[in-house]
Amino acid sequence: MDFWTEIPSLGRSDLRDLKKGIDASFKSFSRKYGADIEAFFDPLYFFLVKLEKILIAAPWPIILIIVAGLAYLGSRSWKLAFGSVLSFVIIGYFGMWKDMMATISLISVATIICIAIGIPIGILMSRYDRVQAAITPVLDLMQTIPIFVYLLPVVMLLGIGRVPGLIAVIVYALPPIIRLTNLGIRLVDKDVLEAADAFGSDYRQKLFSVQIPLALPNIFAGVNQTIMMALAMVVIASMIGVKGLGMPVLQSIQNQYLTLGLMNGLAIVALAIIFDRVSQRYGKRLQAHRYGKEHE
Amino acid sequence: MKKFLTSTLAAGVLALLSNQAVAACGSITMADMNWPSATLMANVDKIILEEGYGCEIELVAGATTTTFASMNEKGQPDVAAELWINAVREPLFAAMDEGRLHSARKMPITDLGEGWWVPSYTLEKNPDIKTVLDILERPDLFPAKEDPSKGEFIGCPAGWGCQLSNINLFRAFEMEKKGWILVDPGSQAGLDASMAKAVERGDNWFGYYWAPTAPVGRFGMKMMDFGVPFAGAENWDGCIAKAEQDCADPKPSSWTQSEVHTVVTTNFKDQASTAMDYFAKRIYPGDVMGKMLVYMDDNQAQGIDAAIEFLEKYEDVWTSWVTPEVASKVKSSL
Repeated sequence: MDFWTEIPSLGRSDLRDLKKGIDASFKSFSRKYGADIEAFFDPLYFFLVKLEKILIAAPWPIILIIVAGLAYLGSRSWKLAFGSVLSFVIIGYFGMWKDMMATISLISVATIICIAIGIPIGILMSRYDRVQAAITPVLDLMQTIPIFVYLLPVVMLLGIGRVPGLIAVIVYALPPIIRLTNLGIRLVDKDVLEAADAFGSDYRQKLFSVQIPLALPNIFAGVNQTIMMALAMVVIASMIGVKGLGMPVLQSIQNQYLTLGLMNGLAIVALAIIFDRVSQRYGKRLQAHRYGKEHE
Repeated sequence: MKKFLTSTLAAGVLALLSNQAVAACGSITMADMNWPSATLMANVDKIILEEGYGCEIELVAGATTTTFASMNEKGQPDVAAELWINAVREPLFAAMDEGRLHSARKMPITDLGEGWWVPSYTLEKNPDIKTVLDILERPDLFPAKEDPSKGEFIGCPAGWGCQLSNINLFRAFEMEKKGWILVDPGSQAGLDASMAKAVERGDNWFGYYWAPTAPVGRFGMKMMDFGVPFAGAENWDGCIAKAEQDCADPKPSSWTQSEVHTVVTTNFKDQASTAMDYFAKRIYPGDVMGKMLVYMDDNQAQGIDAAIEFLEKYEDVWTSWVTPEVASKVKSSL
């Protein structure tokens, strides 16, 4: 009768040996190739360190000018540019400038890498159904697997600090841009594609002159989501020694420093809102011609 | 709340019905703290108190500061088996003076402590290094990834009590001037992994750690003598253990003697006075605890599995903590 009440399972000791065996082989892998893999990521690491150092060393008025400029260029809204500068000044005034610069350097590098990897994968997925079928479950896995499950092996390979943090952020923030690029291209009107075919355009022309431009709203929604998710990972990344706004949050969670936690948490929110609004406005402007306004 | 009411009611009815053993102890919440030796102790306590003393025990997960804050403010959980009091010394002693919290056992494990550690092979290869002071002259042995011209000292994870002590000692020993960087590993996982990674590859590693822990035994880590005496409780409690802005002039000092207590609430003391005798006798020898921790690590054992292993394997240790009658009850339950 045991059959009905006890699910058949691997014996306790077999299970333990299996786990130990996998662990041991990972450890010997890490011992053998860890240094090489670390060396492979070194350029990325030094780029991150450099960028962070430049951002921290740069005089703050220059950073503010750059922020205002980028915000205005992206959104064409003086209000938004002014709001961004004001938030930066307030964050700096409350002593979080350095942490904010560290966070910004991590987030911007993560976002750039996500875009560089994500959009081509999304395009591939939209072209081949098989690629889509293969990659979709991987994306599901990336978005749901508990972070420390893959973070610990990464830390064993690469040590603590920025690169494993960056990898964690990318793993979590990459799926939206892939999904939305794929979706956006697939949603392009068949009639439009037929018209393009009628004009004798090849795949490249169709892709770059028809599909991607028409999919831009969705792609931009993806970029936007990617930035948001990257910011959401800041605290997790600091759990493996990444400097930035996440570190004080971590500290305050464990010590019940309410104000410290709130201040740094709100700074992350402020950054998120700025990035969000600017990228959304930029995305809207790109498709403004659709609605006949502001023809460029 | 409703659940609580029903459970107290049920406990009351039960007590009326059986009216001896159960009533002697009642239902108790115990902190199952989030590191191996504490979770082992909590689970051993749970088994012995439930089987031997008829208590009903619920384990509540928690960390040092959060568990202490909850015990201090709410009187829950009732028991913290392994409370490292350095982080919570002042409020804990205040609560003890007011009679809200009690130490049921000072130093429940022998040979424990915090400090700065290096792998033993680092000492073998550099026989001139005897103390922390010697290490501080050699940042070149521990090159930091970020800036290889500097030495890397791995501090204590953000938010832990020891984070402040490490930051202030870093300042006290003027380590920045001597060419060191303080790295915050962010979490215990980060701290452990950085040590494991270094030792697996035979690199030098210098950082904060504590015993009894599995990594210390497994990687052959050595706690370094600081080379300076303990510079007094005033320096430590009034400065080193405080936030950086409250510690203007930290003096170099060896690490304060770690004090670990099994802390209980007044409620528990009144309710389960027989169990207090058990706690009073319960001392884990450091080497037994060390072996148990390596066992837990090797077998990825949960607290409850490790507790059973301990009760089966080290019978001579724990049977001396309880009466023969209780011991036989616990044994038969295994």
